[in-house]
Order: sequence, then structure tokens, then C-alpha cells
Amino acid sequence: MSHTHNVILECTDLSKTFYSTEPPTDVLDGIDLTVGDGEFLVVMGASGSGKSTMLYNISGMDRPTGGRVALGGKEITSLTDAEMSRVRLTGMGFIFQQAYFLKNLNIQDNILLPALKATPKDRTGAVKRVDDLMERFGIAHIKRHGITQISGGQLQRASICRALATEPAILFADEPTGALNSTMTAEVMDALTSVHRAGTTIVLVTHDPACAARGDRVVYLRDGQILDSHAMGAWTEEGAERREDDIFAWLAKKGF
Amino acid sequence: MRPGNSVNLNYIRNDFLGNKGVSFALLIVLVLSAFLMATGAMVMERLFGAVDQLFEEARPSHFLQMHKGEYDLEALERFASQHPEIEAWHVQQMVGFDGKTLRWERPSDGESGDLSQSLVDNLFVTPNREFDLLVEKDGTVPEPAVGEVYVPVSVQQSQDLRIGDRLELSSGGTVLEFQVAGFVRDAQMGASLAESTRFLVSETDFTDVEAMDGGRPEIIVGYRLDDESAVPDFQRAYESDAALPQQGQAVTIQIIRLVNAFSDGPVALALVFSSLLLITIALLNARFVIRGTLEDEVREIGAMKAIGLSDKAIMGLYMSKYRALALFACLIGGLLAVVATNLLTQSVQANYPEAPPSPATFLVPVGALLVVYSVVVVICRRVLGRIRKIEVVGSLVHGTTQSEKQTVRRARREARTVRRTSLTTYRGGNVSRRLAVLDLRLEAGQWMLIPFVFFLASVLMTLPLNLFTTFDSPRFVTYLGVPETDVRADVAFTDDADAIREAMVADMAEDDRISGTQTFANVEYQIEGEVGWEGLGVEIGDYGSNSVRYVDGERPAEGEIAMSLLNAEKYGLGTGDELTLRRGEELTTAVVSGVYQDLTSGGLTAKMQGEVPGGADAYVVYADTVGGADAAAIASEYGDRFQSADVVPMREYVRQTMAYVTDAFKRAAVLAFVFGVGVALLITCLFLKLRLASDRPKMGMLAAIGFSTGEIIAQVRWKTLLAAGLGTGIGLAFAAVLGGPFVGALISMAGLGISNLAFIPNPWLTYVAYPLVLIAAGYLGALLLTARLRGADKSMWIRG
Ligand SMILES: Nc1ncnc2c1ncn2[C@@H]1O[C@H](COP(=O)(O)OP(=O)(O)OP(=O)(O)O)[C@@H](O)[C@H]1O
Ligand SMILES: [Mg+2]
Repeated sequence: MSHTHNVILECTDLSKTFYSTEPPTDVLDGIDLTVGDGEFLVVMGASGSGKSTMLYNISGMDRPTGGRVALGGKEITSLTDAEMSRVRLTGMGFIFQQAYFLKNLNIQDNILLPALKATPKDRTGAVKRVDDLMERFGIAHIKRHGITQISGGQLQRASICRALATEPAILFADEPTGALNSTMTAEVMDALTSVHRAGTTIVLVTHDPACAARGDRVVYLRDGQILDSHAMGAWTEEGAERREDDIFAWLAKKGF
Repeated sequence: MRPGNSVNLNYIRNDFLGNKGVSFALLIVLVLSAFLMATGAMVMERLFGAVDQLFEEARPSHFLQMHKGEYDLEALERFASQHPEIEAWHVQQMVGFDGKTLRWERPSDGESGDLSQSLVDNLFVTPNREFDLLVEKDGTVPEPAVGEVYVPVSVQQSQDLRIGDRLELSSGGTVLEFQVAGFVRDAQMGASLAESTRFLVSETDFTDVEAMDGGRPEIIVGYRLDDESAVPDFQRAYESDAALPQQGQAVTIQIIRLVNAFSDGPVALALVFSSLLLITIALLNARFVIRGTLEDEVREIGAMKAIGLSDKAIMGLYMSKYRALALFACLIGGLLAVVATNLLTQSVQANYPEAPPSPATFLVPVGALLVVYSVVVVICRRVLGRIRKIEVVGSLVHGTTQSEKQTVRRARREARTVRRTSLTTYRGGNVSRRLAVLDLRLEAGQWMLIPFVFFLASVLMTLPLNLFTTFDSPRFVTYLGVPETDVRADVAFTDDADAIREAMVADMAEDDRISGTQTFANVEYQIEGEVGWEGLGVEIGDYGSNSVRYVDGERPAEGEIAMSLLNAEKYGLGTGDELTLRRGEELTTAVVSGVYQDLTSGGLTAKMQGEVPGGADAYVVYADTVGGADAAAIASEYGDRFQSADVVPMREYVRQTMAYVTDAFKRAAVLAFVFGVGVALLITCLFLKLRLASDRPKMGMLAAIGFSTGEIIAQVRWKTLLAAGLGTGIGLAFAAVLGGPFVGALISMAGLGISNLAFIPNPWLTYVAYPLVLIAAGYLGALLLTARLRGADKSMWIRG
């Protein structure tokens, strides 16, 4: 699947200033970004360039200092905290570098948590959805395990399941493979590719060109501004190596 | 300064500044503990010192016998000559008057008042020469001039008298006027529980006082012995000599000392008890903080170990902080205690001379503080002992204080629990609340602190409150060996007591506002003690409808006698035992029907079933009011009609008898309330501050997957509420079930005649208002601490 023409996410002049420092730091400095429905967008940039901050401000975890964000054509920057968390619950999924799970719930319950919260009336539906997801990403056999009993790759795939459990329109992944070895990285990236192919929009932050090669498009962030955008078309296993070199070359020009 | 020390000092300063809130809260709890402990110790030391000092100045009798009526002076002289252990003895003449015969006036500003509200017996006396002295504040023994009177300090305080005021004694149509020349302390009768008080006048005036109608002549035979320890033998010898005057109470110096100590003793005890609870809280708190610190700083500890610092050195680094905190707390607490002790011992200062500072003045509070300090340090060191178990690899790589083995074991345990619980089958609607409960279960070890503290706080608050409401309750009369009635009339010390009593009972029978009149006579009997016959005051009458409560057995029937707890103990009597009583030459036997609790007359009383005899020393008439008639009005009406009787509403009788103790408990209850609520709030805040800090990643994750800040906050509040409610509930149950026996045991140890104290709580206060306020304090802490979460950038929680 290549580019679609519907815009799912649109940021206009998004900015974030932290006033806790002296002098205040402008971490996001007028971000304009459009993500198409079903697109797999990769965000790259040096450490400290504001990649994570951008995700947090788009998703309403943090309050942007200025600018606006629209999800599916609906402006969400002015929503209340409760409304915004509802949007995160039903419209967005999150994956972090470190998989945060509740220690007092088993894997299945952890994944079920947002689904159950989104549709408390339809428990059977939620459980079914979660079971299907776990089956699909190959972790069904460990669903009763505690979170300390499974591998990092499994944990990250569980994160993906949890993020998809409410069938969100867009998935944010902030360096999901940053703490994994190469085998596990491949596992997780395969999973993301499959999610993408099933039609979910993905915004992935990564430092790894091999991971970036999976995307449809890469944007490069420096000092809180989007410096450049690089469209690549759909990923295939065969073309993978060539794309990686392509991205390397592109990044090298940015001084990465 | 050695380099090691300055490293420690730097560490202390940085750590304190780094965790300002936490260290400060810990410091406050420690200061409070040290403060209460030191205050309790100082109040006790001052009190005992003051009592000793007064005893030194006033030289009270080692043994004394009160007596009304004729007596045989020659017998006394013979007895004295037979007992070489007597150092000195005397017979003091006294004339007793009711409070209503005494009024005072201040010419300078026209102020005036009278003593009619007072129930104590006012005795007029002349100064003694050798012992049993009434002394002025500066320790001098006054010699009243003609027309002068020296007034007891208790009267001075209650009436706010000043030197130069005029005191008027009017009885039987005569009026005598005195000028108040000073105020005197009375070792024998000055204590707040004493039933009489002495006014000092000149020999000349005393002759006039003796001549007045309505006065009740009485004597005290007093003895000083060479050796105080000889008193029990001496008392037996005295009481077994039938020729000696014995129509009245016999008192030993031991009892005088006890009565004196009881006045401020309970306050000091309550302080020490509260401080023990607070120290427990402080220690729990310190443990919690230390464990949290170790978790937070495990990597640093691992690094220190890795570079070769010994466990001891690392512990020393941490200990330096807690040592400094404890030391500082003890210093501040000690200084505050000096101020508080001055305030708390004001009544001691009025009734007793100031004890000269002795080593004990300094050593007792310092010793108490030293105990606080050592306990804190020892416990902190034990908690810090975990440092030894921290493994370099575990701490540096995994950031855990637990060893490999512990980690594995813990993971297994967690795995077992998560296998069992499941959201898939959870039927409740609120996922967020369900999470809160699961959290409580997982983190029970941490959250434990809150129920513990609320448990202790509610015990701390409820016990003094229950003591206060018990002593303040009209139903408390049952502990005074008195039936639960509305009005009490005392007819005593008059020649026509029989006639007055009969007239009063007859009037009451006519009166349709009154029902259920009961009359009892107080008769002096003698009972066979270990060595010989001893005096025993017995109340005789019909106990058929008398509501005194018995801790053992039941009310006396014909031919039976009930003994007060202390008497039963003294004579080794139990229900069913038989005893022989003697009055004059006449012997009576009676079977003990039961044992009751009594605080009056030193707790040594007895009750015998029988016809009310004529010619008794004193009578008591109890009556109930009917249909909500005003007991106070009836009492004052009968008091006016029968001038030589004391008629008071029962409420007033209890109040005056127990006023001092009740007030002390009231103050203790208020203090405990403030401390309890304050400490609960403080600890809740401290706990949540640390808890929320370590929960940040979890809260961030919950926010990311769609929980609103409101829901996350609600989870914290809900957990706090549950934990605080649990602790408070257990505390209430504990205070209700075990509090009474516990306090009762303390009181019975004090030998006051109560063994079995059942609380008479005010249910609204104890079971509704107090727990609500306490839980509200915890909730307030949760509100304060969670308020800051709102509006925060939630990414901060995840970034750590
Ligand atoms: N709450 C904050 N207060 C002040 N500065 C902050 C805050 N959060 C982030 N920053 C700063 O903002 C800048 C961007 O941080 P951000 O985490 O978005 O970078 P990043 O591109 O995700 O880096 P990395 O690749 O290391 O994850 C950094 O310099 C960081 O120090
Ligand atoms: Mg980042």
C-alpha cells in the first residue's frame, strides 16, 4: 500500500517551550506535518532534536505552547484533559522504548486494560479482539504470564497488541527497538509492517536506518524543526537493502 | 575535623536539601515524639520533686486519726509513752463549716463571692508547732495575728482571692470577720482529691470560732515517727487500742503521698503514653523513608561497594543523617518541653513549692530523650542493615536492592498472583477502581504504613477521649460506689442529724417531683485486721433498689456486706467469705455478698444491708427526680430548707469529686486530637509524596493508554481512603474492645480502687465524628498531594 490522499493527522505551527529551564528552551519550533491515512511515517533526528517531544505534544500527553493539531479533520489541541485521554484511548496507540506494564496484571490483562476501558459494556468483544491480536503476533501461549517472565521482544509485541486493542486510527512508536537485539528488532519491525499493511497509520521514531527503511516516508528533525522529508514508496523484503543505503546517503547529507 | 566527618556533613546537608519535604516531615514527627516524652518525664520529675519539697517544709504526720466527739486524752498520753518510736505527736483542734457559711469581699473594688458551691469541709485551725505545718509560698510558717486568716491556696485559686480581702464566717446567727493575711499550702489536705481544707487563725479568734453554733468540732491526732517505714505496725497498734479516739478516717503518709501524686500523675502518664505511640509512628515512618532511599540510591550504593567501600562505611554515611535528625529532634523537643512543662505544671506550682533543682531535674528528661534517640538510631541501623545484602551486580545492572535469589523468588510469587487474578472475568464496571485495589494488594508492603499510622492515631485520639467522656459521664457515679440517682444529700456532723434526715426524707416523700428516695447511714465499725481491730466505715441501709455495680458478686442481702475493691484486697476477702465486725462491745458477723469499685474515701468503704440506724455519724440520702424535674433547682431548694445538709445534683457531685482528673483528661483529649490529626495528615503527605514519585512511570503509561489525569488522581485518593479507613476502623475496634481493660489495668495498678473500667463513650464523637475527621485528614493529604498532578506535562512521568 502506497500513499493515500486522505489526511489523518495534521500539525500546524506546533511549538513547545519548556519554561523550567533558564533560559526557556524552545524544543519544538513551528512544526508543520501532515500524515496521510494508512501512511507509515518515520521520524529521525539527532538525540535531543525533539522527536519524543513532538509525539507527546501531538498526542496531548503534554500541552503544546502554540499551534494546532487535527486528528481525522477534528481539532484536538483545545480539548480538555478528559476528552484528550478519551482520544488517546480510542484513536491513538503508543509504544515506547521501554515497555511499561502493570506488574500486578498478567500479559493478557495488561493488553485488555485499554480495550476494556474503551468498551466496558462489551467485555466478550474486547477479550476476543485481544485474543486474536495475541494470536496474530505470536504471544497467545504466554498470555497468563507475568511481565517479568517473558523476553523483551515478546514484551514489545505485547505493547503492540495493547496499542491496537482499541483499534486506533494512528499508532505512535518511540524507538520501540532501541533496547532490543537484532533478532528481536526484526520480530518487532515485522509486526509493525504487518500492522501497517492492515491499514493502520504509523508514526515511528527511530535512530536505526534499517528500521527507517520500513516506512513510506522519512522526515528529519533538527532543533525542533522539520528540516526535510524523503518519500520512498512501499517497503518490500527484496528492496530492503537498497533502501537502507538510500536512507544512509540521505542522512549523511544532513550530517547525521 | 576529620575528613570522614566532613564528607558525612556534606552528605547530610545535600540529602536534607534534596528531600526537603520528606526529611522535614520525618523531623517533625521525631520532634513531637521527643517533645512528648521529655515533657512527660519532666512533669513527673517536677511533680514528685514538688511533693517531696512540700513534705520537707510542711512535715505532714506519718500517721493521723481524725475523730469526732469525746476523746480520752489520758489514753493518748499513755499510748504515746508506750511507743518510743514516736518522735512527736499532737492533738489538733478543728471546727468544720459548710461552704455556704463563708463569703468574702474586696473593699478596694467591691468584688465578692462565697464558697457555697464547694463541697469540701472547711476546717478552722490554729498553727501547729512541730509538724503538720501549713506553709506560705516562700516556705515560712505563718503566725496569724488576731483578726487575720490564712486561706488555703486551693480556695485562693477557685475564688481568685488577694491579700487584704475580707473573709466572713457566719453561722448560727454570729458573724466573724477576718482579713486575709496570706495563703498557705497544706501537705495533708491540699491535694485536689482531699475532702477537707484548713484555714489558719489565731488562738484568740479560734476561741470565738469554737463558740459559734453550727460549727462541727473535730480533732486530728497526729504522729511523727522516727522511721516512716514503721507506720503500718504503728497503725495496727493504734487501731487495736480501743481506748483511743477512732471515730473518723485514719490516714498514713503513704496515702497522703499517693493522693498528692494522683493530681498531676495522669497527665504525665498520658503524655508518656502518647509519646510512645508517636515514637512508633516515627519509627515506621523512618523505616519507610530509609527503604525508599535505598531503592532510589541502589546504584550509588552498588558503585560505592564496587570501588571498595565497606558496608560499615556506607551504613555510616546513611546513619550520619538519621543520627543528625534524631539528635536535632531531641534538642528541639527538649527545648519545647521546658516551655510546655512550665505551662502544664501551673497547678503544681500553685499547690506545691518549687523543688530545688537536683541532678534528677536534669537527668530525668535527658534520660528520656536519650531513650528516644537510641531507639531511633538502633531501628534505623537495623533497617539500613539491608545495605549488607545489596549485591554489586544486581544494584548496578538491574537497579535492585534485592539479591539474585530474592529477585527470582519475587518474580515467581508475582507470576503466581497474576495467574490467579484476571480482568477477563472482572464483573465490576469501573476498571480504574479495580486497578486501585489491585495496586493496594501488590504494594501492600508499602501501603501498610498508612493503616498502621491511622491505627495508632485513632488509638491515640480515642483513648483519652473515652477516658474523658467516662469520667465526665453522669453514669460514672457507679465507680464512686454511689447509685445512679439525680440528687444526693449529705447530712453530717450535726447533733440533730437524725431529726434533719427524717424531716428531709418525709418532705421528699410528699414531693411529687421526687421518687425513689434511698437513705444510708455511715457507721464506724471495726474489723479484725492482721494484728488487731482496725477502723472500717460502713454504709448501712436497704440496697434493694440500689444501682451500684458490682465487679464480683451482687448487692448485700440481710446479714451480708459488700466490700470496696481495695478493702477486699486489704483484708483478703472474696464473695462468700465471712467476717466479724465490732462496734463498741457488740460483735456482728456478715457474709461478703460482692465487691464494687470505689474511688471515694481512699477507696476503702463497705456496704451492709440493714435498717438505717439512728445516731450515726453521717447520713446520705439519694433521690430521683420525676418527669424531667430540674435536679439543680430541687437540690438548691432542699439545701435552703435544710441548712445543715449538703444537697447537690448528682451531676455536680461527680463533677466536683472528679473535676481535677476530668479536666486533665479533657486537656489530654484535646492535645491527642490535635496531635493525632496532625500526624496522620503529615505522614499521609509524606507517604504519598514518596509513593507518587516512584509511581511516575506507571502513571505516565496509564495516561498514554488513555486514563485521564482525573482517573489517575482518583485512584490515589481511593487507595488512600481505603488504607486510612482500614487503619482507623481497626483502631476504633481496638480502643473499644481492649482500650477499657488496658486503661483499667493502668488505673488499678495505681491502686485507686478501680480494677474494671468500662468506657462510657460518647458514641457520636468516638464512632462517628472522630473517625470521619481522621479519615478526612488522610483524604486531605491525598487532595493536597495529587492536586499538583493536574495540568502537569505527563511525558515527564514517563521520562522519569
Ligand atoms: N520537561 C523538560 N524540561 C526541559 N527540557 C526538556 C524537557 N523535556 C525535554 N527537554 C529537552 O528537550 C529536548 C528534546 O528532548 P526529546 O526527548 O524530545 O529529544 P529526542 O529527539 O526524543 O531525543 P532522543 O533521541 O535522545 O530520545 C532535549 O534537549 C531535552 O533535554
Ligand atoms: Mg526521545
